[in-house]
Amino acid sequence: MNHVLNITATNTPAVVERLLQVTRYRGYELAGLQLTPRSDAKSLNITLTVSGDKPIHLLTSQLHKLYDVQQLELVSAELAVLSA
Amino acid sequence: MKGAELVLQVLQQHGVDTIFGYPGGAIMPIYDALYQSDVKHYLCRHEQGGAFSAIGYARASGKVGVCMATSGPGATNLITSLADAMLDSVPVVAITGQVSQAVMGSDAFQEIDVLGLSLAVTKHSFMVRSVEELAATLHQAFAIARSGRPGPVLVDIPKDVQLAEIAFHSEPEAAAKAAPIYTSLANAGKARALIAAAKKPMAYIGGGVHMAGAMVQLQQFLAANPMPSVTTLKGMGSVAKDNAHYLGMLGMHGTQAANLAVQQCDLLICLGARFDDRVTGNLQKFAPHAKVIHVDIDPAEINKVRFAHVALLGDMQQILPAISAGADCTEWLSHCAQLKQQHGWRYDHPGERIYAPLMLKQLSERMPDNSVVCCDVGQHQMWVAQHMRFSSPRNHLSSGGLGTMGFGLPAAIGAKLARPQDTVITVSGDGSFMMNVQELATIKRFRLPVKIVIVDNQRLGMVKQWQQLFFNERYSETDLSDNPDFVALAAAFAIPGHCITRKDEVESALEAMFTWPGPYLLHVCIDDKDNVWPLVPPGAANEEMITETKA
Ligand SMILES: Cc1ncc(C[n+]2csc(CCOP(=O)(O)OP(=O)(O)O)c2C)c(N)n1
Ligand SMILES: [Mg+2]
Repeated sequence: MNHVLNITATNTPAVVERLLQVTRYRGYELAGLQLTPRSDAKSLNITLTVSGDKPIHLLTSQLHKLYDVQQLELVSAELAVLSA
Repeated sequence: MKGAELVLQVLQQHGVDTIFGYPGGAIMPIYDALYQSDVKHYLCRHEQGGAFSAIGYARASGKVGVCMATSGPGATNLITSLADAMLDSVPVVAITGQVSQAVMGSDAFQEIDVLGLSLAVTKHSFMVRSVEELAATLHQAFAIARSGRPGPVLVDIPKDVQLAEIAFHSEPEAAAKAAPIYTSLANAGKARALIAAAKKPMAYIGGGVHMAGAMVQLQQFLAANPMPSVTTLKGMGSVAKDNAHYLGMLGMHGTQAANLAVQQCDLLICLGARFDDRVTGNLQKFAPHAKVIHVDIDPAEINKVRFAHVALLGDMQQILPAISAGADCTEWLSHCAQLKQQHGWRYDHPGERIYAPLMLKQLSERMPDNSVVCCDVGQHQMWVAQHMRFSSPRNHLSSGGLGTMGFGLPAAIGAKLARPQDTVITVSGDGSFMMNVQELATIKRFRLPVKIVIVDNQRLGMVKQWQQLFFNERYSETDLSDNPDFVALAAAFAIPGHCITRKDEVESALEAMFTWPGPYLLHVCIDDKDNVWPLVPPGAANEEMITETKA
């Protein structure tokens, strides 16, 4: 099942590696990645699409802990189900 | 001043007076600055040992431990210890030198991608790009290491940044700004209702309680809500010694009373613990009748492996008083007391040979109050957890999450430097001791009065036990019967020692060890056949323990 995460992150050299490392280690597969620097170039808008059988909160709760992650929003339909 | 001097200045702003490390090319400017500094540096003999000492220092004192290493091999030698700190949530700041930015990315001499290596083993890591951001980065490193759920932070500093000039500034800028803890008591009412309604409540206590500084609140909670309690390996010492309802450690090598009672309870109050697989055994069969209240500072632990009916996030000091509900369960308490009595330890071991559980009980009774015991990993580690009593988790340093052999000796060095007034004892195995044996040189140089007890079964005992039970007694590579002469080895480092083989030698040997003012090595030979009981076999539920009589 695919999950789409909208992430705002500080534009540090290792930020994308950190996101991908956590995604892989926690057992999700990468299905898509888009990133665009914001106008001030200090932050990035990242859209991370992942697939996996485990509940997605197991990934988002770990990604939230990354210091470079400022905001994280789950935009796929599962969000409504999970937070209800 | 130079960046290198600024590093030491920031360390001092954070109250750091003790660091552990090893020099090399890419960190020479910092070592040069250290030469005139008030910060005391303890030279380890392997960076893994230095970082374990920083962990021992941090765990024994509650402060942030600091270690340093050069680029390349120095930095890679830190990795195991950082992983250990990561899995046991220990606040450590590791500073590594890096090659100059001009040659970075060219496979320069002793260049390795340390930032890349750090990702899986640190809470966060930095590569400093310019001397202007150096102080702020170090401040941030300290704040991150100790805030929330603590952990290791690595700061990689290229040599050109260490050498760059920066204007002197002494203001203690943003020195201690740890992120405030957000505590939500919204679910406290629900927790109180569960506790009030429970007939068989159980407190399951992990390392998070003492790390939150909530030892007092815990005793108050257990007094106001009399209920049985169990601890994890890291939580040992959290429950006051005079609490009659404490059942000991739970899990794979836990006490029978602890495991049976947890399996029977109807409410499990998990305080600063994380349902680790060594604790739960078969997760599906763990505490099958229990509702769960989970209190932690790390949101990612809630519902990670076990569903929590009620979760409370934040500061344990505030949460514990808020969920006190006056539990009343006299029948359950007497049932648990009966389990405890029925399954008490037995020390009536036949024969002349030394029985490690009894020897450790004697050690526990004889050691001065507030002694720190630093374990290694294996059977002896589990025997320490089973047969020694501690008055604080800061007095029992054991590598829990990573289970890292070689932890004990260097951790004891750090603990001794953090608490010079307290007795520090390493209990190591003949296998584990050899993994950081070079740190005897650190003990020698600083004449650190660390007491070393080697429990020698001439085996990688814990692995041997599994081979015996689960691999058809095929003892692949676990025989250590050609061990070195440990007393002679200690003597080479000017550390006196003594070897014992019989039960009746134990008391006087312990006496001699404690009476001797300096470091001392006691070599305790035991039977290679002795195993750790009880044991929950892999895949089994915690009530399906194998005991010695059944094995
Ligand atoms: C660095 C490391 N390598 C391997 C292991 C696997 N391991 C766990 S316990 C053990 C045996 C330890 O032997 P010893 O220190 O003599 O302790 P004993 O079990 O005999 O008391 C081994 C090899 C480990 N935990 N850590
Ligand atoms: Mg051994």
